[in-house]
Amino acid sequence: MIKFLVYRVATIVPVLFGVSIVVFLMMKLIPGDPAEALLGPAATTEKIEMVRKSLGLDQPFYVQYFRWLWKVLQGDFGSSIAVNVPVAQLVWPKFWNTVLLTAGSLVICIVVGLGVGIVSGTRQYSWFDRISMSLTLIVANTPAFWLGLILMVVMALYLGWFPATGMYSMRASSKTWGDLIHHMVLPAITTASVSAAIIARLVRSSFLDVIRKHYITALRAKGLSERDIILRHGMKNAMPPIINIVGLQVGYLMGGALFTEVVFSWPGIGLQIYSSIVARDLPVVQAAVLVTTFVFVLVNLGTDIVVAALDPRIRRA
Amino acid sequence: MEEDRPTFETLEAAFIEGRLSRRDFLRRSARIGATAAAMSLLGSLGLTTKARAQGPKKGGTLVIAKESELDILDPHSAGGWVTWRVSKQMHEGLIDEDLTQADVPYPKLIPKLATSWDISKDSLTYTFKLRKGVKFHDGTPFDAAAVKYNIDRCAAKDAPQFYPRANAYTTWIWQFLKEVKTPDEGTVQIVLREPYGDFLRQLVQGGGGAAVFISPTALKKYGNEGIAEHPTGTGPFRFVERVRGEKVVTERNPNYWGTQPYLDRIIDRPMPEPAARMTALQAGEVDMIYVPHPDGIADLKAKGFKLEQGPAPHVWYFAFNLRDKNYQDIRVRRAINMAIDREGMAKQLLKGTAVAARGLQAPCCPSYDPNFKDYPYDPAQAKKLMAEAGFANGFDTVWQTSVDGSGQLIPVPMAEWIQRDLAKIGIRMKLRTYEWITYIGYWIKGMDDASNKVGSQQMSWGMTSDYWIDIVTNSSHIAPAGGAGQNGGYYTGADAMLNQARGEMDEGKRAALYRKINQKIKEDAPAVPIINDLAPLMLSPKVKGFVHAPEEWYDMTTVWLG
Repeated sequence: MIKFLVYRVATIVPVLFGVSIVVFLMMKLIPGDPAEALLGPAATTEKIEMVRKSLGLDQPFYVQYFRWLWKVLQGDFGSSIAVNVPVAQLVWPKFWNTVLLTAGSLVICIVVGLGVGIVSGTRQYSWFDRISMSLTLIVANTPAFWLGLILMVVMALYLGWFPATGMYSMRASSKTWGDLIHHMVLPAITTASVSAAIIARLVRSSFLDVIRKHYITALRAKGLSERDIILRHGMKNAMPPIINIVGLQVGYLMGGALFTEVVFSWPGIGLQIYSSIVARDLPVVQAAVLVTTFVFVLVNLGTDIVVAALDPRIRRA
Repeated sequence: MEEDRPTFETLEAAFIEGRLSRRDFLRRSARIGATAAAMSLLGSLGLTTKARAQGPKKGGTLVIAKESELDILDPHSAGGWVTWRVSKQMHEGLIDEDLTQADVPYPKLIPKLATSWDISKDSLTYTFKLRKGVKFHDGTPFDAAAVKYNIDRCAAKDAPQFYPRANAYTTWIWQFLKEVKTPDEGTVQIVLREPYGDFLRQLVQGGGGAAVFISPTALKKYGNEGIAEHPTGTGPFRFVERVRGEKVVTERNPNYWGTQPYLDRIIDRPMPEPAARMTALQAGEVDMIYVPHPDGIADLKAKGFKLEQGPAPHVWYFAFNLRDKNYQDIRVRRAINMAIDREGMAKQLLKGTAVAARGLQAPCCPSYDPNFKDYPYDPAQAKKLMAEAGFANGFDTVWQTSVDGSGQLIPVPMAEWIQRDLAKIGIRMKLRTYEWITYIGYWIKGMDDASNKVGSQQMSWGMTSDYWIDIVTNSSHIAPAGGAGQNGGYYTGADAMLNQARGEMDEGKRAALYRKINQKIKEDAPAVPIINDLAPLMLSPKVKGFVHAPEEWYDMTTVWLG
């Protein structure tokens, strides 16, 4: 197990290094220059040069990259070009906001996905199974931003049950958890929808698979209650692929949060990446993508460890 | 409007006393009932004001949704109307525009931190008498030394506080500055190298770097870069906090030298998604939104929200590549000007949130002539001109625009509208589009750059200063490639007239000269002006006192919440 852990942790480093190069190159390859972006139509060649120089953009790009990398290794992500603050100060609070949204979405995903999946899997071809599987097929193919707008119009505007935008009420004097959760419901449902549908379908098929195994028949023959069979024996054996997919979905939830954040004006890392790409704010995009990648890799590592703990065959492989 | 309306009790008394017939009593009380029911329904939707206030009242927080995140809050070193709309409430200059009047052709210049000013006979020295007793938000007194410190930050390359970025943004304002003198603490003399007729109007511009004042104490304390986190001006609102991507909060400056604003606080929220802005307004989460989507305005109006729009210094235009042989014949350029149905675009596509442009000069400056006769929409005549120029069968060409961006409205559908109109006179236009930042890069490189040759490219902006047309058409502003000049330096037809107008000190004569320039540019047709935006914004009915002045930014001191 230790060997397995060391190996998995060591593979993170080249992944992050690779991602940082790819992001850096991508931002350099797409046309558009932050200095021009800042100056807009009033720019002249001379003015652009002046601003470029003040931002350090007149250096060759590999010099810019290694300077940046050296600083990052020391924990300094540099300064935002567009809004002129240390990147760390900008990225971490936004990242935390996305973590909150992702956590909320994950709860919905697991409760809905597992619940629907298990009921469908144990009652194959029942009316519940047929309706829920048709619904999950539709939801899994619904674009999140569209669903978000529909939820916003129906639940926030017509019914007035939830706020439409933001994370806290702007007029409130202080931030409360209640206010946060109230604001989180719609964006969390939006973000969770696709993943919940996928998880539900996967749990169902995983259960169908397990439920037909001989040992389940043997357990039934021994007279165990259906509840014990499903929750104690079926669940444990159906779990490894489910945990795997849930782990992967965490990454997708963070990625999907981008659309949700733009639609609901949720001040998270997705909205930040969006506005920073629009402004060609390279240091912020770099840091935000790197942090997101790091978390994605960590979650996958965590998933692998849990699965390995559950299934001895994997850690021996 | 609410006063003198009969209540049920007064009607009942009148009926009992015999002053009202039974029929009238029933009819009028039913009307009250219906109104009350409607009011309570609207009230539950958050659409009515609670109090029937008679006049402006103090207090409350105004939440505004903006179309994008703000740039840095350093008014010398940031551009863009979105940012200046916030920075302006915190910072003031020597003079200002009177933005409390909506029904004027262009904003009047008024004293601000200077109480009076005087221009020397040789037109080179401007002497400003400063307002006494004004303090910056940090308590630092405002005086001549503070003025000099700020101008030197933008323009004096050897000053310790010189900031290249501030210099780049304020070029048009300080381009002819020779020196700043401070004979005493209440007087400032700005000396120019050559006469600059529109200098005062340039002093009140804010779309890219503004001539406003930051506390020298704060500048020394936080430095040229740090000051953006601690905006410290003299304005009616002062900075509270900024959470990037979320909000900028300002509050009433209790020590303001002028009339105190009504609002306690203003919260500016960046909300890039138009649908989200419109939903937030309806949900009561924000009170005012910029750039509503044209398709959603009618619906919001029907729900009781107020549309505020009016003339603004904004022109949306395409300029021609005069190095491209297709556009070298003046008849082709004129034909294009005649082929495009601008009125139709304004009404049908933009749903009345813009009007057809007349001439290249942007509205709301002294020389703008609302009766200016631009080319009429005449496709038949345009086709004839094309044939005369030897293009009876038209030609293939590429035009470029952005897909989004500040002040760009809905550029792609608008360009497609033009594409359709040009097809009718045989011009097969291929549209090339980029997102805003990429586009700005290509736009600056010019239309004849080897990497991206196009026949025409689009831009949209303007100023309340006549000099704006010089910025966009005078070939001298253009470095070897690019620059703000729309025709990449290849249009020189108006140069001599522009240079003459720049030195004219009499506002009336100067405006007359710029009108002639506008006429000359129309005849030479280096560009095709399309649309003047009316800068629409939507307000919750509880927002009162807002004035949509003929500018791209507004005075928030007159706004109150009902």
